[in-house]
Amino acid sequence: MMSSPTLECTNIDVRFGPVRALSDVSLSLERGQVHAILGQNGAGKSTLARALSGVLVPEAGTLQIAGRDVPFGSAAATQAAGLDIVHQRFALPPGFTVAEALEFASTRKMGGLFYSKRKVEAAWQARLDQAGITVPVSAVLSSLPVETAQAIEIARALVNDAQILILDEPTALLSPETIETLFAQLRQLRDAGVTLIVILHKLKEVMALADTVSILRQGELVLPATPTSELDEDRIRDLMIGGEPSNKAAAQTSVLASGQKDLLTFAHVSSPSKGPEPGLSDVSFSLCSGEILGVAGVEGNGQRALAEVYAGLTQAIAGTIMLQGAEIQNADISARRNAGLRSVPFDRMTEGASLTLPLWENAKSWMSEAFRGATFPFVSLRAMRTEAAAGLDNYGVVYSSVEQPGGTLSGGNLQRVILARELGGDVIAVLAAQPTRGLDFGATAFVWDELRRVRQDGAGVLLISSDLDELFDICDRILVMRGGAVAGVFANTATRAEIGHAMVGGRS
Amino acid sequence: MNRAHAALSAVFPIVLAIALSAVLFFVTGYDVGAVISGVIEGAVTGFGSFWQTLRWSMPLLLIAVGFLFCVRAGEFNIGGQGQMMMGGLGTIVVALLVPGPVCLVLPVAILAGMIFGGLWSFLPGVLKVKLGADEVIVTLMLNFIAVLFVSWITTGPLKDPAVRGETASTPTVDAALRLSSGDGMSVTLLVLIALAVAAAWLIAERTAFGLKLRYVGEAPEAARWQGMKADRLRLWAYVLAGAFAGLAGAFEVLGPNGRLVTGATPTIGFTAIVVTIVGLSRVPGIVLAALLFGGLQAAILFLPIVSDLPSSGLKILEGLIALLITAEFIRRRRGVG
Repeated sequence: MMSSPTLECTNIDVRFGPVRALSDVSLSLERGQVHAILGQNGAGKSTLARALSGVLVPEAGTLQIAGRDVPFGSAAATQAAGLDIVHQRFALPPGFTVAEALEFASTRKMGGLFYSKRKVEAAWQARLDQAGITVPVSAVLSSLPVETAQAIEIARALVNDAQILILDEPTALLSPETIETLFAQLRQLRDAGVTLIVILHKLKEVMALADTVSILRQGELVLPATPTSELDEDRIRDLMIGGEPSNKAAAQTSVLASGQKDLLTFAHVSSPSKGPEPGLSDVSFSLCSGEILGVAGVEGNGQRALAEVYAGLTQAIAGTIMLQGAEIQNADISARRNAGLRSVPFDRMTEGASLTLPLWENAKSWMSEAFRGATFPFVSLRAMRTEAAAGLDNYGVVYSSVEQPGGTLSGGNLQRVILARELGGDVIAVLAAQPTRGLDFGATAFVWDELRRVRQDGAGVLLISSDLDELFDICDRILVMRGGAVAGVFANTATRAEIGHAMVGGRS
Repeated sequence: MNRAHAALSAVFPIVLAIALSAVLFFVTGYDVGAVISGVIEGAVTGFGSFWQTLRWSMPLLLIAVGFLFCVRAGEFNIGGQGQMMMGGLGTIVVALLVPGPVCLVLPVAILAGMIFGGLWSFLPGVLKVKLGADEVIVTLMLNFIAVLFVSWITTGPLKDPAVRGETASTPTVDAALRLSSGDGMSVTLLVLIALAVAAAWLIAERTAFGLKLRYVGEAPEAARWQGMKADRLRLWAYVLAGAFAGLAGAFEVLGPNGRLVTGATPTIGFTAIVVTIVGLSRVPGIVLAALLFGGLQAAILFLPIVSDLPSSGLKILEGLIALLITAEFIRRRRGVG
């Protein structure tokens, strides 16, 4: 059955100065499907979404929605034509109640100059109930969990009669369980005839959700909309990466099957809770040399406390932490770092690096005392720059000068800078907190390879991740946290169900 | 933004401020040409004018390079005025009351000024860093306390019995302890200031302390994860800022003023903040900016001699530069444009 496409764009060109973000992209989609746009970071996915939704104006190209020409650059015109977008960063005003925000965003105004709060709330409550979203409409948006806020963003688009909905990386902020809920909601919308364009970069999510896939590489469409059933993961991966060698590192297992020694031991460690984040509660475990110990758990179950107590940012209130037989729970952060305990923090933009300072300072300032040899008490900036450059080259950072600010690098590149800093020198143990979050799989594979190399060298790695696939792929054992406590430690031969049960509790 | 662009963005507000002031003077009926030539004569070309420019640049420069440390740490310590006065107090106490050979008393007097200034800045530093007080309010209030305290000293315990009239001051220090004669500058003072500024530059740009301080100011969370001891670094930034302001106070007492005077240079600590910002928080830029504002101060004092423009006219120019530069500074901080 041939039906006319609900969305058709042709020959879209977008340029940012000399950089060609999109060149000659044409896409045609039919009604009632989930279409995934795939590509590495910087391939042009978000740019395409922004062009289609009227946020930016391409140099060239046309856009048709349901057979009608729609001008570029007007969000109001695309909304009126039935296309809406849910951004990665939500657009609804956080201080408003759900009802106020929806009313505010609605193109169908209910009141005149004055409005009845009760009527507005009743109307929106009815609509949300209809959509299966159970949330009180008088709740303030900023107080809601991220998955609920996202559901309301989607509802916001639907009440404006969106027939085509673009979602820009909708899974980036969600935990594994809520991703499944989101997917169910999206499938329901598709069955109701809505066309969904979803920007993703995790292959497993694409295979689970999308009916058709298109792939962008360096601004060019290398795969036009193709049914997912005709593709497999390897083919998609090759198309995304293109000429580059496939980065699938051969899975290596623990180098030291026997004769492993405990590097780092937590014994009955507790720490205070901070706001909504629970503290550690009687946490005991050992990290062995030559292993990657995964830390699984629903986000907000003490992973941050574990990282902060490990690094020394938070003092334990009870228990002992031993590093190679020496108690370190009272040592400060820099003493622990000098003893070989390193960490890759959760948020690479604020905790991992400075976006305003140059790369050499990001790499070397923390150890600047080491550079004052001959010129004591002054440091040799030349030596710092040279050594920083050597480290960055070693970790394959793409940069033009060590003087360029951290903020000029892409996420994956910035993570390489952080790895160069944290994994350089004599490392005994590394804690990596969500080190691949938001990275494309070229960068993800690099991070994994580096963690494996650390393991190969006989150090231990603690990998905190909310991505179970990641944990199963590279960890030797998986520790599950729940409510700040250890809910279980599993070999990586455990089943997903076992780990899942430990994460959420209940029977096992 | 490259450095040339940055320098241009600092120069443009100054040019704009001069243009706006010129329009204002013209509209209100003053001879703009006479004012401009008067300013140039008063700051540069007139007899002894450049010496006067240096004289007024001195305290600005020292307080500004001290303030630089707090800017690096992300601390807005606006207590330079009070720290300078307390420094002057430390110096005058030693200079008047401690007997001994000049070669001993002089360095001790200068050191006392730096220590008094440093302590007067350490106090708000502790209140901010350890207790979370707002440093802008605390340093501002401590300025008033310092002014009143010095006023009490100069009208009470250390009052010069020979002085009559409005201005209260201490007796003049012994001529042997003076670093400049009369009310001006001297080569000795210039050398000492150059050494102090060079030291500030080295500490800020070439020490582990300076590098870590900048990191803590720019990325406090990342600095914490990397084990930098932010509290200690910030406290030292306060102490250094106070010590440099105290040094300015010491040089005022041992140099141009020769004594501790109440009400001398009442706004110099605030102008110094503008100097740091105009100088783009870099030592070479601060030197140029201090000369600019020192020249303006010299011109303000000279202008009534050659023009009928009241000196408050040039104060308007000074204020406009401060306003436009601050706007530019905030714009840059927010990353606009």
